[in-house]
Amino acid sequence: MKPNHQETIIAAIDTSTIKIGETSTGIIIAIRGATTWKQNRKYRYTRLGPFIFHITEENKNEVYNTLEKAYFNAHYSSNRYASPHLMQMPTRLASLLERWLQTMLAKTVNNGLILFDGSLTSGTFDTPVQRMKEILSLARKNSSTVLAFSKMTSLRVNGYLITDQLPKSEPPYLLETTGLRFKPPTVVLGDVYVARLNKANYAFRLDIDRETTLTQRLEAVEKLVGNDLYAQSYPETLRLAHILCTFTANEVLAMQHFITRKHGIQIINRPDMHRLLFGPFGKGEIYS
Amino acid sequence: MKLYKKEGNILQILSFPNENAEKGDYLMVEDPDARKAIIAQVIDVQFASIPGVLEELLRTLPDGGVPIQGEDIDPLEIAPHITYIQDASLLICKTRATLENEALSPSNSWLPSRSQSTIKKLSVPMLLKLAKVEGTRPIILGGTKDSSLLTIDATAVDGMLNIITGKKGCGKSHLSKLLMASLIGYKATVVIFDLNGEYTSIGMTQDGKRNMYYNKIHALTPSQNFKVALDQLHLNVVMGILIHALHLPGTSSREFRRIWKTLKEKGKLSLYELGEAIRNLTCNQHVRDALSSRYHAIVNSGFFTDNPAESTFLKECLLKSKEEGGAIIINLRNTSTIDRQIVVEYVLGKLVDSLQSWKLKAVFLFAEEAHLYLRETYWDDIVTRMRHFGIFTTFITNQPDTIRESIYRQADNIFLFNFTNEHDLDVVSRAARVDAETVRSIARDLPPHHCLTLGRVVRDFPIVTRVRSLDMKTMGETRLFFKDRN
Repeated sequence: MKPNHQETIIAAIDTSTIKIGETSTGIIIAIRGATTWKQNRKYRYTRLGPFIFHITEENKNEVYNTLEKAYFNAHYSSNRYASPHLMQMPTRLASLLERWLQTMLAKTVNNGLILFDGSLTSGTFDTPVQRMKEILSLARKNSSTVLAFSKMTSLRVNGYLITDQLPKSEPPYLLETTGLRFKPPTVVLGDVYVARLNKANYAFRLDIDRETTLTQRLEAVEKLVGNDLYAQSYPETLRLAHILCTFTANEVLAMQHFITRKHGIQIINRPDMHRLLFGPFGKGEIYS
Repeated sequence: MKLYKKEGNILQILSFPNENAEKGDYLMVEDPDARKAIIAQVIDVQFASIPGVLEELLRTLPDGGVPIQGEDIDPLEIAPHITYIQDASLLICKTRATLENEALSPSNSWLPSRSQSTIKKLSVPMLLKLAKVEGTRPIILGGTKDSSLLTIDATAVDGMLNIITGKKGCGKSHLSKLLMASLIGYKATVVIFDLNGEYTSIGMTQDGKRNMYYNKIHALTPSQNFKVALDQLHLNVVMGILIHALHLPGTSSREFRRIWKTLKEKGKLSLYELGEAIRNLTCNQHVRDALSSRYHAIVNSGFFTDNPAESTFLKECLLKSKEEGGAIIINLRNTSTIDRQIVVEYVLGKLVDSLQSWKLKAVFLFAEEAHLYLRETYWDDIVTRMRHFGIFTTFITNQPDTIRESIYRQADNIFLFNFTNEHDLDVVSRAARVDAETVRSIARDLPPHHCLTLGRVVRDFPIVTRVRSLDMKTMGETRLFFKDRN
C-alpha cells in the first residue's frame, strides 16, 4: 500500500473502567471515555468522566437499564439471563459508554476514518448485533469508514496467531484472512485483516466494515497511513484515546477522596486472601 | 496534616495544599492518649510520592512537547480532587522538643500515634512562650512569617560568643547595627572594629538628622581623632604591637624592652626620645636596624603622639560609655594592613587592661571580617581568655571559612543569612548548637534580610526572621558606578 496524504479526519474512541473499592454492599467503580481526532495536523480530544457508580446486587440491573435507556432508548438486558455478575459490571458499563461514543462519532464525522479499539464482533451481551450494525450504517451514511484495531487477538491459522505470520514484504501492508469461523451467537460485522503499518515489527488484527468495497477499505487504510503518526505500527489517534481515558493511581486516590468527602461512603479494605494464605506466592486478585 | 514516618529525629508529615506549611515553620504533633506532643520544625518540603503522578504528567504532553488541546467533561468535578492529591506535599521535619505537662524537654525518644495524633502549626509567639524566650531586656529582631515579632533578650547575648554570617548584601551589617543599638539602649559598652567606615554615621537618621543614639556613638578614626601617647601605653601592649603586628624578632624585642624601661624610669617616654635611644643604641647593627624600622613604622602610622591632649579620646569615650552606655567605633577604613593591626592590638590590649582593673564591667565587641586584622593567636584568646575578662565578641563575616572551626563549635548564637554555596554551608553547619540539615536546608532558601536565628537567644529553636529596619544612616550599601540601574 502507498500512504495517501489527502487531508482526512481521523477520530478514535476508547473507554476504561476501574474498581475504586468495595463497600459492605457492593463495589464502587469509575468509567471514563475519550474521543480523539486529528484535523489540520493537530490532535484534539473530548474526555467524558469519570463517572462513578456504586453497584450492588440490588441496583445493578436498574443502573444498567437506566443507562442503556438514556444512551440508546432501549432495553437489551431485560431478560434475566442477561443479568451480569457484579464483577462484570465495570466492563459492561464501559462498553455501554463506548458504544454510545462510537454512535456519536459515526453520526458526526463526515468523510473520515473512525478508529475503534477492539474488533467488530457483535452478538455479545455488551454489543448486540443490531447496535453494531446501526453504528456501522451511520458511519457509511456519512461516508466514513470504521477501522477496528485489536491490540491482542486469539485468532489462529494453522495453529499460529494471525499476527505472528508476517511475510517479508515492505510495510505498510494488509494481509487478508479467509476461513475464520466464529462461534454463535458471535457475529463479526467486519472482514478481518492483519495490518502492519510501518517498519516496527508489530502487526495488529484490523476489522473493516464488511459492507464497504475493497477499494474503499484500501483507500481508508492508505489515508490512515498518510495522515496519522505511528508508534509501533499503532495509530497515534487511537493510542491517545487510550492514554487519555486510562485511570492513573493518582486519580483512583482522588476518587476515593471524593467519595469519602462528598458522600461519606466508607471503603472497606478487604484482606487479599491470596496474599494472606500464600504470602509471597499469592499474586492477588485481579478484578478489572 | 498526617504523621507518616519517624526516623531518628526526622518526622515525615503528609500535608495537603490548603495547609501550606513552609520551611522554618513549627508544627506540634499532639498525641491525646500519650498526653504529650512533639514540637518539630519543617526543614524541607517535598512532593509526596503519589502513585501515578508521572503518568498523569506524561499524558498532558503527548504531542511533541505541546500540550494536547481538548475538553474535559467532568460532571462530578473530580479534577480538583486529583489536583489536591497530586499537590500533596511531604514535610521533612526535625524534632526539637517534647511538650509534656506544659514543660519542654529535648527528648524525642517516644513515638506519637500515627492514626490518633493531631498536627497543627505552632505560632512563633506560642513557641517562644513555651520555650520561655523572655526577659526584662527585650531586643526586637524583626517579624516572623506569621506576622509576629521575634524578641530576644539582651541577657542571652551577654557573656556569649556570637556569629553573624551570610553572603554579601543580605543584611549582616544591618543586624549587627540593630544588636549594637539595642545593647547601647541598655547602657552597654560596645566596641566595633569598623572595616569599611559604615558604622560611623549611625547616630544619624536616614534623612540626616540626629537620632536617639547620637550622643552615644563615638567614632574614632586612627591618626585623626584617635591617637595614643607612648607614656600612656603599657609595655605589654607595645610589645604586642611590635611582636604581632610588626613581627619584631626575639633579640630585638629584648633590646626594645630594655630601652622602654630605661626611658620610663627617666620619665622621658616620648616618640622623639625613643627614636634617639634607638639611634644611639650600642648593639648589633641588625638589632638596631630592626628596631629602627619598627620605630619608623610606628611614627609613620600617625597613631602615636607625644601630645597628651590628643590622646585622651578613647579613655573619655570608655568612661562615658561606662556610665550611659555607648558605642566606640574604631574606623579602620583607609588604614593600611599594618596600621590596622597596630590599632587593633592597642584597642584589645587597652580593653583587657581596663577590664582587668575593673574600669570597665564588660564590653561587647563587634568584629567585621576579623581575619583581616586579628592575629592568629587572638582567635582562641577571644573565645577563652578575653571572654573571662568580659569581652563578648560578635563576629560578622561573609566568608565563614575565615572563622576557625573552634569558634563555630563554641559559638552560643548564630545569626545566619542566606548562603547558596555548599562549602559555606558546610562550614557553618559545624556549629555545635545546630544540626547540619537545618542549616543546609533553611539557609539556602532564605530571602534577603531574612535570618535564621540559632542558639541560646532562641533556646535552640531555630527561627527565621525578617530583620526589622532601623532609622539609621547605615552607609553599608555598596557604592555603585551605575546609579540608575534597577
